[in-house]
Amino acid sequence: MTETPKLTLDFKGLLCPMPVVKIAQAIKQVQVGELIEAIATDPGVMADIPAWARSTGHELVTLEKQDKIFKFVVKRLK
Amino acid sequence: MTETIELALKTLEAQLNQPLETALEACARCGICAEACHYYRAEPKVEHIPAYRAEQLRNVYRYEHDFISRLFPVWTRAKKLDETTLANLTEIAFSQCTLCRRCTVNCPLGVDTPLMMRAIRAMATAAGTAPEILIMLADAAIEKGKDPSFYKEMFLEQIADMEKQLRDITGDENATIPVEKQGAKILYVPLAGAHTILPPAVVFNAAQEDWTLSIFEASNYGVFLADVNRAKQVAKRIVDEANRLGVEEIVISECGHAYACYRWDVPNWFAGQFDFKVRSLIEVLAGYISDGKIKVDPTAIPGSVTYHDSCNLARNGGLLEEPRYVLKSIVRDFREMTPNKAEALCCGGGGGIVALAEYAERRIAAGKPKADQIKSTGARTVVAACENCRLQIGDLNEHYNLNIHVTALTDLVVQAMRLPKPLPGMEAEHLFEGEQVEVPR
Repeated sequence: MTETPKLTLDFKGLLCPMPVVKIAQAIKQVQVGELIEAIATDPGVMADIPAWARSTGHELVTLEKQDKIFKFVVKRLK
Repeated sequence: MTETIELALKTLEAQLNQPLETALEACARCGICAEACHYYRAEPKVEHIPAYRAEQLRNVYRYEHDFISRLFPVWTRAKKLDETTLANLTEIAFSQCTLCRRCTVNCPLGVDTPLMMRAIRAMATAAGTAPEILIMLADAAIEKGKDPSFYKEMFLEQIADMEKQLRDITGDENATIPVEKQGAKILYVPLAGAHTILPPAVVFNAAQEDWTLSIFEASNYGVFLADVNRAKQVAKRIVDEANRLGVEEIVISECGHAYACYRWDVPNWFAGQFDFKVRSLIEVLAGYISDGKIKVDPTAIPGSVTYHDSCNLARNGGLLEEPRYVLKSIVRDFREMTPNKAEALCCGGGGGIVALAEYAERRIAAGKPKADQIKSTGARTVVAACENCRLQIGDLNEHYNLNIHVTALTDLVVQAMRLPKPLPGMEAEHLFEGEQVEVPR
């Protein structure tokens, strides 16, 4: 990934549904085509963030687990 | 009439049945419901009286259903529904009522004001004025159910990691977290996070229960929207899983709205496809302790502990004695809040409001009576068997400097099982921090 995220967010310690709530709020703070990068500790994001991206029409660019941290990047598409 | 208003009114009409019409007709305007409401207790003003909130819908209902009201609306305070009125109703139903039903049990006529608030929520959802976050959460959940293959592999990896933790905590190399086990007796339905899977897994393994998880979770944001269509789509995947796996019963995680949904709504929605017993994890814990299936140390929790009755579990679900039986089996210093059980005050976090950042200030203000109750017990640990309540009480703890530790019931039971290792975050030093008690080793 070569693009630089416009926002970097820390959702560590937040439980479901708060990571999804926070990313839904944050997506409005960036322009169409811009990226948001976030980290979370709740494993629920593995299912919730891809589902949120699909249902809202944004792009989940990456989602990976690094030890006990879940890191993901989403792109605003509309 | 705009399309929005048409949709809202059509939804109101579609919901009208005997209980709702009774609620819309029966109020005696006595005001007894005022003191029952935590919003009014926190901030005594007319807008916070449940009967006043309900009256805003009654005004619309009168205009639509009463001939005289339509001709002379000023006489009866009837109101034609317009965009402003719908916006006001939406705000009332999503931010000034947590659907706790304390007003109903205190109403001499039993007027079900939350039923009216649900009617408004359904109108707002149909008309597109409901909070977009709740819509988004419900739609994301539906999306998850459509094609779970995109996260199943990661979910199974997570379970494998958790199984290692489970074996570490229990010291049992054979402890497992079965997923999609055909013919298991119990389908346990957690929430999305590991914190609702690992502690029950410890308990189920100790009890040698025949249980399984599926990849689906219990929470259902369609319920908060009062949107039966969305709620049924989310609930159906659990019904289908229970049928597919051939389980005897469904056990719901410590979650108020999910328990209410599966215990009361789902059997009606899926009549004929649904013949499972539904129990809360709390009932299962009480049963295991009572039957001796799990061993707990009655002196394991030496600190002061109080219990918050979740509205959906206690007042609306009837689970009053089970959590107390569990706590009294493991806690040395158990303290009751007053009032409690079916008369318990709502924490202010129900009805989906914890997910709505725009109402955070209002939510914290409405939680003040609960914060005061907690403070007056002097207890340092607050047990809440509902995720929404735990989130809210955690926020109340921070805002009102309560200096408490908020925990789930299952976590405390696991602590009392005196296993080789504690659950993450439940280390004795942390749990009893600052209390003058002999910390068990």
